[in-house]
Amino acid sequence: MILLEPHNVIIQTTLSEKILKPSSVDVQFVDYDGVRFHLSTPERKTVLLLSMHIRCWDELVKYGALNVLKREYGSLLQPQSEPEYNVSLAIDLEQLPASNEDRESFIMSIALFKRNALAAPFEAGFTSQKSLESAGAGTGELMQIHYRDEEAIYIQASHDRVTVIFSTVFRDETDRIYGKVFLQEFVDARRQPSIQNAPQVLYSNRDPPLEIRHLPNLRNTEDTGYVTFLFRDYLHYHIKCSKAYMHSRMRHRVAEFQKVLNRAKTEVATSEKKTVSGRTLVSR
Amino acid sequence: MSVLAPIICDNGTGYSKVGFAGNSDPSFVFPTAIATRGSASQQSNAPAVPSKPGHLASKRGVEDLDFFIGDEALANAKTPGYGVHYPIRHGMIDNWDHMERYWEQTIFKYLRAEPEDHYFLLTEPPLNAPENREQTAEIFFESFNIKGLYIAVQAVLALAASWSSNRVTDRTLTGTVIDSGDGVTHVIPVAEGYVIGSAIKHIPIAGRDISQFVLNLMRERGEMATVPPEDQLRVASKVKENYSYVCQDIVKEFRKYDAEPYKHFERYEGEHSVTGRTSDTERFLAPEIFFNPEIYSSDFLTPLPEIVDEVIQQSPIDVRRGLYKNIVLSGGSTMFQHFGQRLKRDLKQLVDGRLDARQLASGSLQKSSGVDVDVISHKRQRLLWFGGSLLASLPEFYTSCHTKAQYDEIGPSICRRYQIFGSAT
Repeated sequence: MILLEPHNVIIQTTLSEKILKPSSVDVQFVDYDGVRFHLSTPERKTVLLLSMHIRCWDELVKYGALNVLKREYGSLLQPQSEPEYNVSLAIDLEQLPASNEDRESFIMSIALFKRNALAAPFEAGFTSQKSLESAGAGTGELMQIHYRDEEAIYIQASHDRVTVIFSTVFRDETDRIYGKVFLQEFVDARRQPSIQNAPQVLYSNRDPPLEIRHLPNLRNTEDTGYVTFLFRDYLHYHIKCSKAYMHSRMRHRVAEFQKVLNRAKTEVATSEKKTVSGRTLVSR
Repeated sequence: MSVLAPIICDNGTGYSKVGFAGNSDPSFVFPTAIATRGSASQQSNAPAVPSKPGHLASKRGVEDLDFFIGDEALANAKTPGYGVHYPIRHGMIDNWDHMERYWEQTIFKYLRAEPEDHYFLLTEPPLNAPENREQTAEIFFESFNIKGLYIAVQAVLALAASWSSNRVTDRTLTGTVIDSGDGVTHVIPVAEGYVIGSAIKHIPIAGRDISQFVLNLMRERGEMATVPPEDQLRVASKVKENYSYVCQDIVKEFRKYDAEPYKHFERYEGEHSVTGRTSDTERFLAPEIFFNPEIYSSDFLTPLPEIVDEVIQQSPIDVRRGLYKNIVLSGGSTMFQHFGQRLKRDLKQLVDGRLDARQLASGSLQKSSGVDVDVISHKRQRLLWFGGSLLASLPEFYTSCHTKAQYDEIGPSICRRYQIFGSAT
């Protein structure tokens, strides 16, 4: 698995099961970036209520998340969300698309709940880029989404591009080094002729990129990095994978060294020891 | 930010149960299998060698990411180039490389959780080596940078799960756990959360043996003649799961069947049209091998109640009452109907017999107040996982965890000792 899928597997599997066999359910689970979900059947077995709590909900609403969700889910969207959660969907299992294919795409669209909510600022960015393009100059509003405690996404449209900046914090020394090496690869990979048209990825450690340098309250420490155009989770996932790979190489090396050491062992001559009376000594 | 729910990860030999604390069922249950590139015979303790150093970006491929876990692994078993491995053997982790990658995909692909934000509760078999615990801690703290780790003994989780049973009034971690899975049956005494390692006993009779026994009985009657040989064991285990029960008196039960032979027959229809058949006395004989093992094996002859009694008698004298009072059944092979009642009755007979003999020997001068024997059986399939979920949703859980800071300060050795709920750290 190289790419992380955008949909939530728990929503997908639970929904598929419940469609076949409706039963009461009450589960809580999470998604990346501290998103919490609650799937329950508060009234009837056939009506599932899916609620989501997302940290930066207020900011997302500001950039039009409600409109995007309304477009995607229509009447499923509940006017009043469950307490402690930001937004709720009610799914009536008796009113589902009939054909299998439609059902699958319906389930998939529910499983993309979080992605759709987060998509709003990006869409806003792209539309404002379109309008700026005709103007030929100027920059759009700098949108900030504080999706984690110390980390944020910055989106800014200008006449020729949309810049997306992810800031990320490495809590671990080793992770930071891996992250640096890993992201350096992106910069290098772009030199290859085949992928020169790929979106540009820049990575800077400590110094925030020019676009957001004027912002106050940026953490300016050694462990903060700025990634342009790359998803944070994807990055962190691959850092973990690289570590696992390093560990397996290390284990392999240790096993090899162990073999060498074992070969160097001197053999102890074993001979039967006997007492005077002729009995054999057995060591325990 | 409110703390996100801890992740409970119960990796068993056959199946892994993973999910979030506070739920009553795990979010995912899938086989503990991983399908990797390279043939199954070629043990991959040698990872893919990177290709020749050339351009920086093309230095190494992504062979180490090319693998599947769980149901997908089994689905890909026949795909050329993939080999399926089972990283856990007999409850112990066998191949750490595979296990690390297995966890990696469990967390990132299925649970979609940031390991940095969560506490983890893992399970371990009784008498797990401290080195294994250290290795696990190393992987979880170094690779995944998790917030905190708690490694629980499976038997203790089974006890914790029985807190939800309405027959249990006080929340105690003292009791005897009878854990019978597919491969082996353990009898584990636990005193206040500590496993009494010296008194643990294993019984070589478990689910697979019962299926084999059912198969033998059916073969003797010639009912298996119509079943294709590769399906026979599976059919036998289905018959066992669906129709078996424990009788209270074997002689009476036989008489009942002799008097009205057709009343008690159940018809079993398999997926093959030819496999319509009846199942006979094996309905109550199959689980009987726990209580009378001589009908199945010739090298193991001690009945289960006697083993339980022995285990408790080997434990310290001041916890024995608690152990008799709280006997918890867990695992698939204890889910036969009336299993608990039968065990309770047989055990009670043993204990009372001994007390009476004592009394007689003392010349009827001393009278015992009697010993309570109680067996708690569960309907729940994922008992261990549920116990973990209960424990991890307690506020004390966070104080019992080993945190990342502690790990960084001291190292993996912090996990050598395991911590008990409610005890001072």
